[in-house]
Amino acid sequence: MINKKDRMSLIDIKDGRSGIIISVLGGRILTKRLADLGLTTGTEIKVIGRTLFSGPVQIEVCGSRLVIGRGLASKITVELK
Amino acid sequence: MTDEKKINIVLAGQGNAGKSSVFNYFTGLHQHIGNWAGKTIEKLEGTLFYKGYTIDVLDLPGIYSLTTYSVEEKISREYIISQKPDFVINIIDSTNLERNLIFTLQLLELECPIILVLNMIDLAKKKGITIDSYKFQDIISAPVIRTVASRGFGLTDIVDKAIERKGIKNDYTAPKYGKEIEKCISELSIRLKDIDLPYPERWTAIKLLEKDSEIIKIVREKKPEVLERAKQLSVTLEEIHGHDSSIVIADERSHLASQITREIVNLLPHRKISMNDRLDVVTTHKITGYLVMILILGGMFLTVFSFGNWFSGRMEMIFKDWHGWWSTNVGVSFLAALGWAAIESVLALVQIAFPYILPFYIILYILEDWGYIARISFLMDKVMHKMGIHGKGSISFIISFGCNVPGCLSCRIMETKRERFITAVLVTLVPCSAVSVIIFGLVGKYVGLLWTLGLYVFAMVLILFLGRISAKLIPGEPVELIMPMPDYKTPHIRTILRQTWQALKEFIFIAAPVVIISGVIIQAINLAGWMQAISLFLSPLTVQWLGLPAITGILLIFGILRKELILVMLAAYLGTANFSDALTSQQMITLAVVSMFYIPCVATISILWKDYGWKKAIAICIIEIGFAILLAGLVKRLLDFVF
Repeated sequence: MINKKDRMSLIDIKDGRSGIIISVLGGRILTKRLADLGLTTGTEIKVIGRTLFSGPVQIEVCGSRLVIGRGLASKITVELK
Repeated sequence: MTDEKKINIVLAGQGNAGKSSVFNYFTGLHQHIGNWAGKTIEKLEGTLFYKGYTIDVLDLPGIYSLTTYSVEEKISREYIISQKPDFVINIIDSTNLERNLIFTLQLLELECPIILVLNMIDLAKKKGITIDSYKFQDIISAPVIRTVASRGFGLTDIVDKAIERKGIKNDYTAPKYGKEIEKCISELSIRLKDIDLPYPERWTAIKLLEKDSEIIKIVREKKPEVLERAKQLSVTLEEIHGHDSSIVIADERSHLASQITREIVNLLPHRKISMNDRLDVVTTHKITGYLVMILILGGMFLTVFSFGNWFSGRMEMIFKDWHGWWSTNVGVSFLAALGWAAIESVLALVQIAFPYILPFYIILYILEDWGYIARISFLMDKVMHKMGIHGKGSISFIISFGCNVPGCLSCRIMETKRERFITAVLVTLVPCSAVSVIIFGLVGKYVGLLWTLGLYVFAMVLILFLGRISAKLIPGEPVELIMPMPDYKTPHIRTILRQTWQALKEFIFIAAPVVIISGVIIQAINLAGWMQAISLFLSPLTVQWLGLPAITGILLIFGILRKELILVMLAAYLGTANFSDALTSQQMITLAVVSMFYIPCVATISILWKDYGWKKAIAICIIEIGFAILLAGLVKRLLDFVF
């Protein structure tokens, strides 16, 4: 069984840790937008860092880096590796 | 037929893949920049004459997908489908192969003849990435070419390949998606066979499963029963996968892209941490990132202003005798005066705006080519969100400190109309180099540096405050930032100079005509002797409410042309550049505040007009005039306690 504790929103993951995307909540257009950039369920991502006062999150996905706004990041659930 | 010697190609690819380098290399001087019909998006076309062939090149906007999400994406898709170019040249950033491939797969679905270009192959090698282009070629059944566009390496191979394959029928075996999805696609394709569509059937079928509203509309008109079946199939897919069918397909593409990447890429184990990696850590860090940003931007403005002051002084020396020459040779008639007004407008543009804008653009494009601009968007996203826009808007603000005209133009990078408009309005309130000339020339010189700094801080706080209000007033949801973070790379001089030149050209073409026409009109009013009456008419505002000399009424009218004229004409009126003779410290600060906010200059208004319509442009002007006068009056009353 998968421990529920290891699943968390992208914004709660510490810098430098990686995991697998479990789900992407949000509208069809937004989810599609993310998928076009390689952010789909089952993809491995790594959190690189974020800015002060809970700003956007910088992540590494498919060997390249992306910045996504905090609101969006909160809709992505990740299972830690 | 001469037709045989003609080829037309379009360049397509994600942002930052090096498309514009390829375009410029191919077309050089034979370029034509226009707009897409009815859109504010640039249409870049050019011609290349090569080995007896005339090759028309079109640069499609840099995009991330071919779903109709943004205007750019819609344009690109429509163009490829309707114009049927001989070849679509897909420029791929080799250092970000996997993400770029998702777009490539969408292009392949369109079943257009395609040539793949693995650009920045040198940078990929530096990162330890080797790509097997032969294997790649086999998988996607299209030619693959390796290039380094910034150095021109491999670019002629692209055209050679196009010439070689011209007229050869393509029989694509585009990569296939998962079994059950392909089953749905082929079933729908068969049902679509008997209707006349401008699109390939397989592509149309995929778009129906993706619930693309535009394609659904077209199919509904021709054969509505297909939609029924598409809906059923979508539901089946959704039951199996647990998401919306459009996401299922996007997932599928993304998985296929990573599968292909695994097959063709050989990644060397990460070697030692490079200089760029270390730089990246420092420049995006929670604390040092902001410090570095302040240092870089501070250094940028310091350089721009010290260079600008020096250069502007030199120009002034050159132009100073021209008016005398004009009067002696052309005479002093009414028409001659109007003619001089036109010339003087151009000279002032060259003398006052150019020295600041030129270094500004050069530094800006160095920062962009280096990869730093994206870091600013990242660092500033949180602040920008307070104003209902996202981090990319910060770029427009930075540009606006140089000049509001390119600042307003740059708002086009924002994704939605709402964000574009909010950014454009706020950007017009940013003190541009002309306003800075006033602030420094009055407050900086005679009142003190602390007050000067205070005015800038005041402007920022005010913009933040107004941004918060407009975010609440203008309906719509804020869009979240989604932005690829480029690696740092050595800036490429030729690219920077080319971009600077293009930006300058755009500035001159837009600003010059407006500045000349309004210069002549105002001069005519002046010659007709109405200025005195106008300043008298405005005196309740200028003298009573703002506590300024009556002459400022006229200055503020001239200031609409170019803000720095307020200072230039004040000096002319006083007969001295020692403003402390005529104005008290309090008046200087009040005048600076009015000048900062009272109206965008005519060149900026013309951009607002062009991009957002005359109603909004006029509304912005009226609101800003009212607001600035109200604000400056209040500031004056507050200053009564200080001075």
